Amino acid sequence: MKRGSSLIVEDVRKSFGEGPDEHRVIDGLSLRVDPGEFVCVVGPSGAGKTTLLRCLSGLTRPTSGTVRYGDSPVTKPVADIAVVFQDYRGSLMPWLKVWDNVAFPLEGMGVKRTVRKRRAEECLAAVGLSPAEVGDKHPWQLSGGMQQRVAIARGLAYEAPVLLMDEPFGSVDAQSRFDLEDLTLSLRRQLGITVIVVTHDIDEAVYLGDRVIVLGGRPATVIDNLTIDLGTGRDQIGTRADPRFAELRTRVLTQIRGEKAPEQVPKAVI
Amino acid sequence: MFTGTLWKSLLKQLWLPVLVFAVLLVATAGSTSFYFPPLTRVLAALWTGLTGGGLVGDLLFSLRNIAFGLTLATVAGVGAGLVIGEVRLLRQATAPLLDFARATPTVAFVPVIILTLGIGSGPKVFLIFLGSVWPILLNTVSGVHGINPAVHETAHSYRIPWRLRLLKVVLPGALPQIFAGIRVALSVAVVLMVVSEIYGSPVGLGNFILQSGSSFKVADTWAGTILIGILGYALSVLLLAAEHLLLGWYHQRPTRARRALRPLRMRENRNEVLSP
Repeated sequence: MKRGSSLIVEDVRKSFGEGPDEHRVIDGLSLRVDPGEFVCVVGPSGAGKTTLLRCLSGLTRPTSGTVRYGDSPVTKPVADIAVVFQDYRGSLMPWLKVWDNVAFPLEGMGVKRTVRKRRAEECLAAVGLSPAEVGDKHPWQLSGGMQQRVAIARGLAYEAPVLLMDEPFGSVDAQSRFDLEDLTLSLRRQLGITVIVVTHDIDEAVYLGDRVIVLGGRPATVIDNLTIDLGTGRDQIGTRADPRFAELRTRVLTQIRGEKAPEQVPKAVI
Repeated sequence: MFTGTLWKSLLKQLWLPVLVFAVLLVATAGSTSFYFPPLTRVLAALWTGLTGGGLVGDLLFSLRNIAFGLTLATVAGVGAGLVIGEVRLLRQATAPLLDFARATPTVAFVPVIILTLGIGSGPKVFLIFLGSVWPILLNTVSGVHGINPAVHETAHSYRIPWRLRLLKVVLPGALPQIFAGIRVALSVAVVLMVVSEIYGSPVGLGNFILQSGSSFKVADTWAGTILIGILGYALSVLLLAAEHLLLGWYHQRPTRARRALRPLRMRENRNEVLSP
């Protein structure tokens, strides 16, 4: 996997509507994600998380300010950024078989069918699915968790050094959710890719990220930028039981709820 | 096992038509009415018409017209519908015009078209095309419009080039509704086929029933009418087979997911051109 560049957001503002109907969703937001980082963007519902992700991926242009990938401005989707959407039911095409869905981005690049199929099988295996079992099925024949795995495999097939994920585990059951979180961590470790996950789940953000960026306010802006010092080897039981984990999640939670400063919160919350 | 279930489902579907046929056969058996001859005589007329008479020529003429007309309408309707459905400005601009075209019964055009284009095969194909293009076009537009936005977002974010997007995203996404449009178009086309041949034509099934009727060959008239029914039914079965071939993914999905994909199930019943 080639090494990517930094993704830099500078003073981005995004409004919908004009004049008196103008609704500003994001205001003066700046952030930077360096190659190989795992960053979680967390914030309450309606805090402009998805809008931010759409700006990062080039699906929308900010009203003002810039999004840059390395030296080039992101004004439309770029080859180095793969996106995994929340709504896997909508984003996987029901008329294509699983392997064809995974290989679809490659078809767009003009890759030959045999090569595409092989690559799709590799990516399915990488997300823990058996290509022989699911490859020739249709997405809707799989469970929600498996469908989201397929969507992640498609992101991998795109061979982009940056993976953007919008509430990727929001619509799967709790057990699949833990599995998918660990899968994402291990993919990042193996491939050295940059991962940006947008989520409203604070525990998930703290569990996954090297860094958590907290959005807040209306219109939204960055209210905290927190380094997560939980090490690289994380596991669902140990990490979540770690007192430091509790401290960090408490800090994020209080900030989002706009309550007391984190220092004043007793350590043994939960 | 497969043949077993096939037989069962065939049996479930076939018992009623067979019963109706039998009842008709018995009820008309001794009929002395001039206008309602025994079914056996009608079937005999159909048989001699098809083997010795000119009915095969009429059938082929009609079949060719409807095949050409529908094919043209499908190509033009789907093609234009994809473009109109994709381009928002075009969709808004064409909406009133399309609604007007849809609301105008195509049979109203029969006299003027025959007056201007004559009584050959061409104007008939044109009439069938004219009547059946609207339901296909409108359904394609609404099918394209009804595709889940997440699908478009995905194609956009993975930078799928437009030709591939049209072929593997937009067209299959709209296909369930396109087929609904073609189904409506087919019934419109059969009506126009008959009407165009009744109004001014030396051949065709429409002409056959008109001629035999006005010369009081009632059994022939019934035979022609039944043949038109069989023709329409055969074409719709053919269409259904094509649909199952192309839309396997759509019909096998659980109904809940299907509804989510296709929220608009309009226009199917609003297009009956000849409904009172």
